[in-house]
Amino acid sequence: MSVLIDNQPEPDIVIERMVPPRDPRARRKRALRKGISYGILFLFAAFYVGPLLVLIFASFKSLPEFFRNPTGLPESFSLGNFTEAWQLANFPGYLMNSLIYTGVATTLFVIMSVFVAFPIARGYVRGAGALLTLYVVALFLPPALIPQFQLILNLGLYNTRQGYILLFLINPIGLIILVNYIKSIPRELDESAAIDGCGYVRFVWSILIPLIKPAIATVTVIHAIGIWNELILATVYLTNDELYPITRGLIVFEGVYGSDWPKLAAAVLMLMMPMLVLFMFLQRFIISGLTSGAVKG
Amino acid sequence: MRIKRWTAALTALVLVAAACGGDDDGGTAIDDSATDDTTTDDTTAEESPGEDLQGTLRVLIHQNPPGVEFMENFNSEFEAANPGVTINMSIVNADDIPTVNQTRLNANDIDVTTVSVTGFANPVQPYMTDADTPYWQQLIEAGLLMDLSDQPFVQNYDEAAIEDGSFNGSVYSLNLGRTIYSGMFVNLDLLAEVGVDVPTTWDELVSACDAVDAAGSKCMIAGGQDAWPVFVGSYGLLGALYPDQEGLVQDLWTGDAAWNDEQGQELFDKYATYASLLDAESAGLTGDSAAQRYTVGDVAFGPMGAWNAGPIDDGADFEWTYIPFPGSDDAADNQTLFGKYDMAFAVSAETPVADLAMAYLDAFSEPATYNAFANATNYLPTQPTSTLDNTLGQATAPLLQAGNFTVGFEQWWVGPKGAGQWANASQAALWLYNGDFTDPVQAADQSQADLESGL
Amino acid sequence: MAAKTRNLFGGGGGFARLAPWLMLIPGLGFYMLIGVGPSLATFVYSLTNATGIRGIPIGWVGFANYQEFLLEGARSRDNLAALRRTLIFMVLVTSIQFGVGLLMAVLVNQKLRGRLVFRTMFFVPVILGVAVQGLMWKLFLRPGGGPMDSIFGFLGLESQFLAGSNAFYWVIVVQIWANAGFTMIIFLAGMQTIPADLFEAAAVDGATGWKLFRNVTWPQLTPAVNTNFLLNIVGSLQAWMLFLVLTGYKNGTQVLGYVVYAEAFGQTGTASFRQGYAAAASIVLFALVLMLGMSANAFVKRRERKYMA
Repeated sequence: MSVLIDNQPEPDIVIERMVPPRDPRARRKRALRKGISYGILFLFAAFYVGPLLVLIFASFKSLPEFFRNPTGLPESFSLGNFTEAWQLANFPGYLMNSLIYTGVATTLFVIMSVFVAFPIARGYVRGAGALLTLYVVALFLPPALIPQFQLILNLGLYNTRQGYILLFLINPIGLIILVNYIKSIPRELDESAAIDGCGYVRFVWSILIPLIKPAIATVTVIHAIGIWNELILATVYLTNDELYPITRGLIVFEGVYGSDWPKLAAAVLMLMMPMLVLFMFLQRFIISGLTSGAVKG
Repeated sequence: MRIKRWTAALTALVLVAAACGGDDDGGTAIDDSATDDTTTDDTTAEESPGEDLQGTLRVLIHQNPPGVEFMENFNSEFEAANPGVTINMSIVNADDIPTVNQTRLNANDIDVTTVSVTGFANPVQPYMTDADTPYWQQLIEAGLLMDLSDQPFVQNYDEAAIEDGSFNGSVYSLNLGRTIYSGMFVNLDLLAEVGVDVPTTWDELVSACDAVDAAGSKCMIAGGQDAWPVFVGSYGLLGALYPDQEGLVQDLWTGDAAWNDEQGQELFDKYATYASLLDAESAGLTGDSAAQRYTVGDVAFGPMGAWNAGPIDDGADFEWTYIPFPGSDDAADNQTLFGKYDMAFAVSAETPVADLAMAYLDAFSEPATYNAFANATNYLPTQPTSTLDNTLGQATAPLLQAGNFTVGFEQWWVGPKGAGQWANASQAALWLYNGDFTDPVQAADQSQADLESGL
Repeated sequence: MAAKTRNLFGGGGGFARLAPWLMLIPGLGFYMLIGVGPSLATFVYSLTNATGIRGIPIGWVGFANYQEFLLEGARSRDNLAALRRTLIFMVLVTSIQFGVGLLMAVLVNQKLRGRLVFRTMFFVPVILGVAVQGLMWKLFLRPGGGPMDSIFGFLGLESQFLAGSNAFYWVIVVQIWANAGFTMIIFLAGMQTIPADLFEAAAVDGATGWKLFRNVTWPQLTPAVNTNFLLNIVGSLQAWMLFLVLTGYKNGTQVLGYVVYAEAFGQTGTASFRQGYAAAASIVLFALVLMLGMSANAFVKRRERKYMA
């Protein structure tokens, strides 16, 4: 498996720049290409904005109005659905839970994984090859829902935050990305650090980690998105409303108030807003995490 | 070889994990117990003088808007009457009831629970040669549910309800109400406008639909998005054609009836017609929203469960009634309401607050409280002293007084092991509705073939 | 892999020698406990009649669960149909999402006004999560007057969308919609790291447009292509949450992952809790994923050697 990217940073290659600009035929061709590009982009965009618009329109309608006219513009923009949905469900709580689960589990996972990936990549432990194989095979394992459930139950961690977080401390793909990236860090670094008397833990913590930041960012993003999106495990392991993450909270809300689409739409929008704001804040981190090569160093 | 050593080590790990699990008392699930925040000395508990109830009671019910609302009020009253008590009630979709019961009973994380949304009518019968045990039966056999036989409040309920909440002679479940799943709401104002009578036979229903369509209104809607609401009309047809539903299940198992015999084929043909009568809009409606959609008033018939009477009563400003689905060509055969029990409380065998759970059920079973519950939820009462005094009550009273309520097919049916997904033909109207099959003959043959492959 | 390298930090003996192991133990331990252990235990479970209910004795049944799942009655026909459906889901999702993601990446990698807006727009579903995605599309695909229904009506078509018999394909549409942005970002990342001089050199040789893409971008994109390829295959074989949100457990839409969950946790509507049987189903799924995943991996490795050597 390859690491996402480990090349030179060079953002925004523009193919057109290389084309000699004077030739009018080339210019026409460029304009045509631009037109087609926009055409396709707007077509895609319709599929991304459309569902959102429908949701927004629905959230302002009363139920009878929605039945008369499920799609079009609302007759008036009343916020009644929003206030009602807000009172009916514990959305700030769900959001906070999702943040806690995602934040804690991702942090723990990434730190532990670096300490697994480094000795495997370097062969500092016996059986490093076998360990790596174990992770590669596990990539294809179906989630072991059933024994895992019995395990968590018997550990007394069913329906607890700790138990739920525990489930997300593994991610073979993340580990493999880290191993591959660390392999690209020259071994001479270890040697000189060791000669300087730098301890193992200190080396990993303060020298290696800064060097593999791009890979860490990638793994963080992939892992965090996985937790943020999880619905099944939340259904199986969490029964207390106070512990629900957004996904589960929303589905339960749908089950209970699902007949009232406008209210449901308002609820969905209210949950989306903080996520979108969060995304705007973290966007640079997320995109650059995934385009890890570009932020090397 | 290196891999081999690893495999051995892993196997050992699994065996250790398996050996260490198992005989535990279950997890210590989260318990945000309010036990310490209220140790009141000025008790105002009128309900149960002499004993101070303490602790948190974990209650599980399934989603049903009027039921949820009633239970929330009941809980606050119970808490007010018993200051040391906190009720922690969870609400889940009816679909998730088995899952949540499994996980929460396993974890000893529930006290009063709704085990089944359909009552206990269908244990595996002797003639069922190879069938999986229904999950509620598994739960009882595992000893996870408490035997309620000796509780005095059980006697507040009628005999049939007690019997159908029992297994092997012991009461495990308090059936809180019956509900009809084979009936149809009728918009009387709309019919008057169009100029047709309330249909009493299948032909009258079909021609009424033609008239309604011709007048520019819609004939019928059901909650096609949830799939199961479409079954309401199916159960109506099934009931009209096979009045003895328990007998039908037995005949299907023993081969004395087949989905593609003459009567079966008539059923499938009528399913196809019923599917074609449902308005296209149905596919986008959930069960609950179909009822709300119906209140708009431009739809003549709503084949829906009686539990929808509440929202329809609240929302509709037209005259309506509720009748047995007229599935038979003979009006005399369209006089029976088929249904099931809905909402039933059971108690975890290992609840740490058994006294509290019993007091809770006792308070709920008070005739006055129960009567309010039945009227709020539109359940046909399972307490003999209780009556429905709303529109649904008036509409159904004559039939009920004549004893024309029967537990329906869904409660008797247990599929043979290995049978295919089309074996339960009570759902076949849905297949014809959403295009899994277009030809009722083919659908009937397939259904019978799927059934037989398991027999 | 030859793994006989000396631990460079082991010079001091004692803790220093053991440090790599000690620090590795938490990560590996959790992995064994939560990942590998239960996965292996799934196999053990699949040979029993376990119900998952405390208090019901567990007995060995050998391969009876497998036999029932794969060979017995019309039920096995339904199971094999679920298996086939899982494969169709994988092939369609992987290939279409791959193509759409690549097209998106190529488009928003140009110097176009508003490309950041487009990038964000396409990526946003990924962070919204499966519950929000599902609800948005349920509304968008609402029969009887929803937006897509109106478009269909305009074109003279008719569909019950998520309630109809082709619901399965609508779930595929939503799955691709939801995840194409992720594929796009990975491609974009790959494109942005291609050294500019490669393009310049190719342009000097007279390459433009398609040729430039074919000869420079595509081979240079190999790591991103491979990553996406594997992520999509493995992801789509195990993805079924959208089915849960969009259709529920419904004839004609079940994929294997959902079958496992439904059998194990009483979601099949009528049946009992059969975790042993469900475990057998999940081992069948594993065999499938492993086979396909490994061949994909081999394919990817070959490609890598071809382009990156």
